[in-house]
Amino acid sequence: MNNKYKITKKDLLRTAFRHFIGVGTFNYDTGIASSLVWEMFPVLRKIYSNDDDLIASLNNHFKYYNCNPWLSPLITGATLAMEEKDGTDSLEAVQSLKTGLMGPLSGIGDTIIWVMMPTIFGSIAGSMGKQGNPLGMWLFLLVYFMFFLLRPYVYILGYNSGTSLIDKLGNKMEAFTDSISVLGIMVIGSIVSSTVSIKTGWVFSNGGVKISLQSILDKICPSLLPAVLVATLYVLLKKKVKMSALIILVILVSMLGAAIGLFTV
Amino acid sequence: MGLTFPQAILITLLAYVYELDRKSTQIAGKITILYGALTGWILGDFKTGLEVGATLQLMSLGVANLGGASMPDYPVAAIISAAIAVATGKGMAAGLAIGIPVGMLVMNLDVMFQILNSAIAKKAQNYANKSQFKKMRRTIPISTFLIPLEAALPVFLAVVFGKAVVEAVLNFMPAWFTVGLNVAGGMLPAVGFAMLLVYMPMKKYGYWLIVGFVATAFLSVPVLGVALLGIAAAIHQYKNSDNNSKNVAINGNNNSLTEEDMEDE
Repeated sequence: MNNKYKITKKDLLRTAFRHFIGVGTFNYDTGIASSLVWEMFPVLRKIYSNDDDLIASLNNHFKYYNCNPWLSPLITGATLAMEEKDGTDSLEAVQSLKTGLMGPLSGIGDTIIWVMMPTIFGSIAGSMGKQGNPLGMWLFLLVYFMFFLLRPYVYILGYNSGTSLIDKLGNKMEAFTDSISVLGIMVIGSIVSSTVSIKTGWVFSNGGVKISLQSILDKICPSLLPAVLVATLYVLLKKKVKMSALIILVILVSMLGAAIGLFTV
Repeated sequence: MGLTFPQAILITLLAYVYELDRKSTQIAGKITILYGALTGWILGDFKTGLEVGATLQLMSLGVANLGGASMPDYPVAAIISAAIAVATGKGMAAGLAIGIPVGMLVMNLDVMFQILNSAIAKKAQNYANKSQFKKMRRTIPISTFLIPLEAALPVFLAVVFGKAVVEAVLNFMPAWFTVGLNVAGGMLPAVGFAMLLVYMPMKKYGYWLIVGFVATAFLSVPVLGVALLGIAAAIHQYKNSDNNSKNVAINGNNNSLTEEDMEDE
């Protein structure tokens, strides 16, 4: 890389404010990837003066990514540090880092931000509100607003930890990429089972005894259908079937399956 | 219903701002009670709004939509329930009877809007590949501003036309269509995961997928636990690849590398 742009604190804060574009771009094939592209584009443009390199980097960020938006800047801040240092050479490591960390960070973030905090503050606000007292509600709002003010700094945290990570790793980047890929693949194995859900509603009656197909499948292997679906889609993608075609196929199969009672919610 | 037109517009706007915030800045994210109270305030009865909001807040405790999964939209339910409870003067029960079905309707619309987002993301990526970065940056936020309509439209219909229209819309959707959409919502994340796997070094490290899958499917280890296992595996992998690269440097022989790789497995 002949171009050595140094990311400033101002760049990072600008990106951090742009990250408030949030999860509205979520879609089933690339998650919130477009949000990432949108928030990081101004800095990426500065890192890559060459259009081809920039496009390579953007296409890398257009790949599937989904993370709790409060903690996602830890990852994207670090990827900016990596891309600043090694340019397009870092793209594979960037992708692995994103894939490896998005699951765990979402797990932590979603649990704390969308389960624990709403349960605690929601029960306070709800029980006070029932008696006509809005204090709990304002407290709830205040807590979230304080976090809102702090959230841009997560970007700087991510960027700084990303830089120190790279400094330490130096020329061991390939070993690092390999090991973080292992982490990423394992996490994908886990989230297939926890986030893809397919249930069949078919029931066989055998000599007056009703046996549901789902219970048989669960006995063979829990989450068997999600695993089979991901494997099938993976094979089809490898055979160069387009992703948009697969999405339409999945929707058609869902509709058809729901109509004949094969699938239920 | 006794709503003036400006009031109906304000409540629709509130629903739009709610969904916009939930999908982007997440300041008041899912503070269900707040939206009930604000609706009440718009209609001049803060207290009833607060109480309706509090009821729905308590109903929503422990329900969270994680990783793009869908759930009834409680804040939307709170807005409509409060509006109807105040405007008709028939109290909370009347409000909830319409509010909750519309909350469910929003959940279905969410799936449809996220499918629409795929097309927007694809278009943005196409612009990027043609070096039309300005067009790309303008395309991505369309999702962000389009998606709040999923809350605003049903709320508008519900507060202006009330019960009849909402019921008609829900009846118009055949059961297989609604069920099918939900089934598709459960299945579609698989497309993203399959796509991710295509980009990962599956030939080299694909077997780790089994470890992650078994941990969650059979042993119910949450994704954070799998990530910790993954970190252990990654450290192990890192030490190995580091040694391997040293060996290769010394021997200049590729065979030793493959042999050691086999041993590891």
